[in-house]
Formats: sequence, C-alpha cells, structure tokens
Amino acid sequence: MNAQNPSLLSRLSSKSPWLYRINAGSCNGCDVELATTAIIPRYDVERLGCQYCGSPKHADIVLITGPLTIRVKDKVLRLYEEIPDPKVTVAVGVCPISGGVFRDSYAIAGPLDNFIPVDINIPGCPPRPQAIIEGIAKAIAIWQSRI
Amino acid sequence: MSDSLSLLFAVLVFPGGLFALVLGLAIKGVDRRVAARLQRRVGPPLLQPFFDLIKLSRKETMVPAQASAFIFRWVPLVGLSAMALAAAMIPINGVYQPSTELGDLLALFYLLAVPAVVLMLAGSASGSPFGAIGFSREMAIMLAYEGPVLLALLSVAIRVGVGEGHLISLSLSDIVAYQIAHGPFLLDPWMWPALLTFLCFFPANLGVLPFDIPEAETEVLEGPLLEYSGPSLGLFKMMSAVKCVVVLGLGITLFLPGGPDGIAGLLVFAVKCTVLAVLGVTVVRTAMGRMRIDQAFYFFLKWPAALGIASLVIVLARS
Repeated sequence: MNAQNPSLLSRLSSKSPWLYRINAGSCNGCDVELATTAIIPRYDVERLGCQYCGSPKHADIVLITGPLTIRVKDKVLRLYEEIPDPKVTVAVGVCPISGGVFRDSYAIAGPLDNFIPVDINIPGCPPRPQAIIEGIAKAIAIWQSRI
Repeated sequence: MSDSLSLLFAVLVFPGGLFALVLGLAIKGVDRRVAARLQRRVGPPLLQPFFDLIKLSRKETMVPAQASAFIFRWVPLVGLSAMALAAAMIPINGVYQPSTELGDLLALFYLLAVPAVVLMLAGSASGSPFGAIGFSREMAIMLAYEGPVLLALLSVAIRVGVGEGHLISLSLSDIVAYQIAHGPFLLDPWMWPALLTFLCFFPANLGVLPFDIPEAETEVLEGPLLEYSGPSLGLFKMMSAVKCVVVLGLGITLFLPGGPDGIAGLLVFAVKCTVLAVLGVTVVRTAMGRMRIDQAFYFFLKWPAALGIASLVIVLARS
C-alpha cells in the first residue's frame, strides 16, 4: 500500500484514530495540555474521530510525554509492546526529544528514540494545543499509509 | 422449509443481524454527535461508529499469554448472535411481526442478560485484574437492575393479559395489538411508574453514564474489554450496537408501538429509536457523573424497585 494512493478502507480506517497517553516521567505540564486539548470545547479533537482510550490494546496513536526516566523505561517499553500494530508514535514536548530541562540528570534514560521508533516530534515546553492538534493530524496522515 | 428460511432471514438480515447493526451504529453516531453538541463541541462525523468498526477490523488481535484463549476468542460471538436473535423478536408495527417460535417477552428478557454474562466471561477469561474487577461490578449491577425491570415488564404483561380476558400476556405481538386498540401506555399515567423503571434500566443495561461502572475507562480501564483488540473488540462494539436497538425496540414495543405500514413504518421505528436514545441515554449521560458501584446497587434496589412494585400494585388493583 503506497502513501500517495491509499485504498478506500485505509482512508475510512484513518478517520478513527484512538489515542493513548503514556507518561514517561513527565512533569505533567504536557499531560495537562493533552487533557485540555481533548476535553475543552474549543480544541475538540473528537471531530477528527479521535477518542482517548483507557487500554493500550485499543490504541492506534500513542502520545508519549516526559524524558523517559530510568525507573519508568521498562514499563514504557512493555506498554509500547502491548499496543497492536499498526501504530504511530508521537513524542509530545521537548523532553522525549532531548531530555529538556532534565537533560543532564542522572535519572534519565532517554532520549526516547534510542528505544522506540518515534514518528512525530511535537516540540515545546509545554507545546501549545494547536501544535498538539497539528501533530496528531500529521500522525493520522502517517497512520493512513500503514493501516 | 421456507418457514425456517424466513426465521433465518429474520435473525441474520432483517430485523435482526444486519438491519439492527446498521441502525444501532447510526444511533450511536447520533448519540456521540448530540453529546458533543450538548457539551458545546463540534463532535465526530455521524458515521464515526462505522469508521471505528472498519478500523478495528484491520488491526491486529492480541491474545494475552495468561488468558484462556478459547473462551477469550469465541465469547464475543456468543453475545453478538444472542443479540441478533433478540433483535428478531422485536415487532415493528406494520412492517414485521415476529414468529411465535422465536419466543416471548420472558425469553427476550433472558436473552438481554446474555451480553452481561458475555462481558463477565470475557473479563474473567482475559486473566487481567481489571477484567476481574469489571466482572464483579457487572454482576453486582445486573443483580440490582434485573429484579425491578422484571416487575415493570410483568406489569405491562398483566395489564395486557387482563385487558384481553386472561391473567397475563407474554406475547410481544399481543402487547402491540392491545396498545393499537386501546392507545399507547405512554399516554396512560397509571403506566408511568413502569415507564420510569424502564428508563432507569436503559443506561444500566447499555453500560453508559451514570451506570458505566463495569467498563469505567478512567477507573478500571474499560474492565472486561481491557485486553481485547482489533476484530474481537469490533465484535463487542457490534454486540453493543445491536443490543442498543433491542433495548430501545423493547421500550417502544412496551410503551409506544404504533406506526404506519411499509417503509414509513420502518422510518417511524428508526426515528422513535433515535429520539428515545437521545432523551434516555445521551442527555442523561452528558448531565451526570459516574456513580460508585454501591451507590448504583442501592439506587436500583430503592427507586426502580419501589416504582416497579407500585406499578404492579396499580395494575393489579385496577384490573
């Protein structure tokens, strides 16, 4: 299936991306932004068909926040394995990219893409809701070429 | 031969199976859109539940290592087929009259318990602690709502039965015929306690707020459905869509069955289902938060039970 000309079923499937959040040792700033992006009426991502799901087994797009601390690394990798293919990974905030303000800490195992293939980076500390929505829209475009 | 073929058609295509599935998914789409508008959001497209199903059919199915694989894989199919059978038992006035071989009101009532049992089996077979919590909650809430709603069903059945000159009438076709002749029970204030009991049963049976306690995604991560992925999760979504039509159709049969013949009757049925879903499910779920399992348990043993007993007493006293 090529990216330029996805089949009808791929296009219909990509209208239903379910989001799953993993907090990899984040300070909660990005998590608050994710929560407000989805929940408050102004930035309703349900119009893209998105829906937050409680279980990693239901997820299509995984949003990872935080610098990946040493203590949480194995759990994050296990959760990532639990998500059925095809999936897209989105790193939210500057922490998963470089460690952000925590970059020199002894407690950090990151950056994230040493362990998990990251498709989209959304930089910011924390990123603006508009940036998160743009990132999710780009992730949906990548996901359409995989499903 | 042709009789069994028409039964098979009723269960698989119309009004069970395919028709109920499409109608149920459309109602769920309207429900999500209206819920979003009530919260001043834009909301998903009306066809969103169809997109979800197509998506799920293309995902990978994972069976957890500690699960009992046979039950885990096959139990959603049991629930879906039970609901397709139940949907074939719902009469649509002027369009479809269920065959008496399919069963009566009590058989339908017991078929309605199958999805809850399926969820319990799924939760316990998945080997996950969250599934086990969902299992126990599902069982508690089912024990609480089954009694009161049975009282409401019995009061309708006795009312119709006495009106026809015998003790009780459990045939859905008779209930429809009686109301066509004597006016719908919705307009009869003496039947309103039974109606209220039935309205309380709605969100509990459909597993939506404020009674989505077994599948609470923020507490027990969707409970019994936690370990399901891909097509088998899709089977659960299909089961709940068909169940939605069965429960709404049962409410319409019991309280407002009238309708014109032919295609118009079908449209009237769909519109009645949608209006009932919006008023009985969407508005309730956007207006309320989730109850705790003990609160829900006491709620059902208090108010719907009292209303059910009152309705039975009223029907018996007036007969």
